[in-house]
Order: sequence, then structure tokens, then C-alpha cells
Amino acid sequence: MPQDDRRRRFELLALPHLDAAYNLARWLAGNTTDAEDVVQDAYLRAFRYFDAFQGGNFRVWLLTIVRNAFITWVKENRSGRMMFVPDTPVAQTADTEETMWGSRPRDPESLLLESIDSQTLSRLMEQLPLEYREVLLLREVEDLAYKEIADVTGVPIGTVMSRLSRARLSLRKLWLQQAETENAHGV
Amino acid sequence: MECDRAAGMLSGLVDGMLGLFARVRVTRHIAGCSECAAKLEELRAMQVAVRTNLPYHRAPPGLAARIGAALPREMAPREVRPWFRMPAFGMAGTGLAGALAGVALTVLVLGGQPGSQGDAVQSVIGSHIRSLQAEHLTDVLTSDQHTVKPWLSARLDVSPQVVELKDKGFPLVGGRMDYVDGHQAAVVVYRHAKHVINLFAWASPGKANTGLRAESQQGFNLVTWRHDGITYYAVSDVEADQLEEFARLIVQEG
Repeated sequence: MPQDDRRRRFELLALPHLDAAYNLARWLAGNTTDAEDVVQDAYLRAFRYFDAFQGGNFRVWLLTIVRNAFITWVKENRSGRMMFVPDTPVAQTADTEETMWGSRPRDPESLLLESIDSQTLSRLMEQLPLEYREVLLLREVEDLAYKEIADVTGVPIGTVMSRLSRARLSLRKLWLQQAETENAHGV
Repeated sequence: MECDRAAGMLSGLVDGMLGLFARVRVTRHIAGCSECAAKLEELRAMQVAVRTNLPYHRAPPGLAARIGAALPREMAPREVRPWFRMPAFGMAGTGLAGALAGVALTVLVLGGQPGSQGDAVQSVIGSHIRSLQAEHLTDVLTSDQHTVKPWLSARLDVSPQVVELKDKGFPLVGGRMDYVDGHQAAVVVYRHAKHVINLFAWASPGKANTGLRAESQQGFNLVTWRHDGITYYAVSDVEADQLEEFARLIVQEG
């Protein structure tokens, strides 16, 4: 098959999923610049291995490559322990103007105990360990089935299920800690 | 069932991913365990919070162009084997294994297809992709089947079945006109979760009815059939069995 055809076919298939690829990379890498690099690397890999795609869900195939590109990127650019986001108490990072993840300064007025706003949720998500963050993204944002999440992350379906439980409960715990801190500060 | 075991399955309940027996067992446990029942509610609350409030980061405007510019440099001349003949495990040891680990590789059956049908499939997939890319999904945007059908009938030489399947998990989004494989086609657009299903219909006068035929092409699933002189193609990236279910419902309710 001529390269032009191959490329056209690849673009037709892959470009519609650019937002999904970028969103995953952005949540994993934590900032725009790195996310763009990861996505670009993933697309080049996907193009290189395009001949090995044998049908099925292209988005799942592509997200798998995005995730692997991210892991490679982490190994090359960050120390190994950065894979697991440090267990920083919420109180310490909450008042930081600019965290290492590049989150924006918080708006204390908008923090309500009853509901969680997007900005707070973003910050709490970024404090979750990577393995929790990725299953939440694949499930809640990409709406993938457990089998597909298992394919992307390379763990058994049972692990996907229990990891999702732990991820949701961890997020809940962070949220409650956050609320307590706000209370203690009299907000 | 013990709490430990139930706790690991609570997310399965929240996500609707448990089999019948597991679901019954976990539900029974929760009925008698206030601790797990409370945990279940927490999980549900977090699911709603994340689904409704987590920001979605769209790709920056220049990224597609940047990737496009980087692609040619990656295209060193190399032998490209026909992708449908490449064995699933043929890439072991070529460095692909890591990148592809865990991806379910579905074997496509492409043989024995009449050329014209292959053209129709390509054309339908092309239109499906364009509808997603250009955000030209619908000309008439409505969830009311009684609006879509007359709108399409007034413009085309076919009057396709338009049914409301919202209760079955396939809400109607709207309709549009399209031109595929040399046919004026009516396209009825449905959704399933966040996925779009395009249902193409064009006139095939005098041709016999057929049953449902499913296939998978370029990462999309398709189901085709012919009924009352109209050829139908349903195409989407939803799972194959869900698309078949959708097609069955269209045929039944139509």
C-alpha cells in the first residue's frame, strides 16, 4: 500500500481521537507542554505500528499507546518515584500558589462541603497515585468497559474493579480532608 | 459473602459490570451490611462528581498540525505488509510487544466480499468519520422521531425506519442527508453512551430482503441489512454486540 494511502487512512482513524488522547495525557503528565509531547510521541508510535492494528476499538488501541508513551516519557524525564505521586497531605499543597502539577491558585470562597467544583476536583485528582488516576479517567471520562481498561493498563479485570473502588474512595477521602482543612481555617 | 470480598466488587456494581450471580451476591450482602451499603453510596457519589465536574482538556489548536508535520519524518521507506495478513503475534521481538501489550487483536475477515459492497463499506465509514470530525452530524437536530422521518422523506427518495430507542439505551439525536457510494442516503443519528451511531439508508429497489450481517473495518463496527427495498448500514465504534443489538431493535421496532 502506498505511503500516502497509509497515512491518509491513519489520519482518518486517529485524528478524531486527538482530544481523548490529549485529555488522558494531560491528566497523566499534569501539564500542557509535557502532554503535547506525549501525544505527539504516541501518534508517531501509533503510525509506525499502524499495520499491526487489526480491528477492534481504535480508540482503545490508541489510548494504550498514549499510556505507554507516557510511561516511557516518565522513565526518561522523571525519577522513578515520580510514578507514584507523593502522599502529600492536602493541607500542605492546598495553599500553594503553583504546585508542581501546575494547578491554579484556589478560590476559597467557592469551596463548599456539599458539592465539589471542577478546580478542587482537578487538584484532588492530581494528588491521586497515577494508577488510580488512569483507571478513573478511562472509566468515567472515556467510558471504557472493564475489559478495555484491563487491555489498556495491562492488569486483570478483577484488579481494574478493585482499583476503581480504591481510587474512588481515595478521592472521597481527599475531598473530606480538604473540607476539614477548610473548616479549620474558618472558611 | 464477606465484607472484604464484597468491597472489591462494589465498583462493579456501580459501573454495572458484574455478572448476574456476582450482582445478586453483592446486593444480598449490602442488604445486611450497613458499612458496605455506605461505601457503595460513597462510590456512587464520587462517580457522579467525577463525571460531571472533572474538566476535559481538549487538544490545543496547533497539536494536530504539529503531529501532521512530524509524521513524514517517521516515514522512512519500509516494507508495508498488507495489514490484514499480518499475524497477530508476528510482531513479537520487534519492539512492538510493549507498545501493544494487552490490546485485544481482532482478526478481520475480509475475504469473499464483492467489490461493490467493499466500496459501500468504505464510503459509509468515511461519512461516519467526517460526521464526527466536522461536527456536521445532523441537519435536523431533534430527539423526536416524528420530526426526523418526514424531514428525511421530504428530501430523499427513501423513507427509512426511524424509531425511538431511548428506553433501550439508544437515544435519537437527529438526521442528515448524505451521499455515499453513489447513493443519496438518509442518515439517522443515534447515541449510545458517548458514542455516535450513524444509521445509513438508501434505496435499493427490487432487491431482496437480507438478514443482519456484521463486520469490523478500520476500527469501526458495521451491521448491514436490506428491508423493503432499502439498504441499511449501522456504523459506530460501540462494541460489536451492542451494535447488533441496536440493529435488531431497529428491525423489530420498524
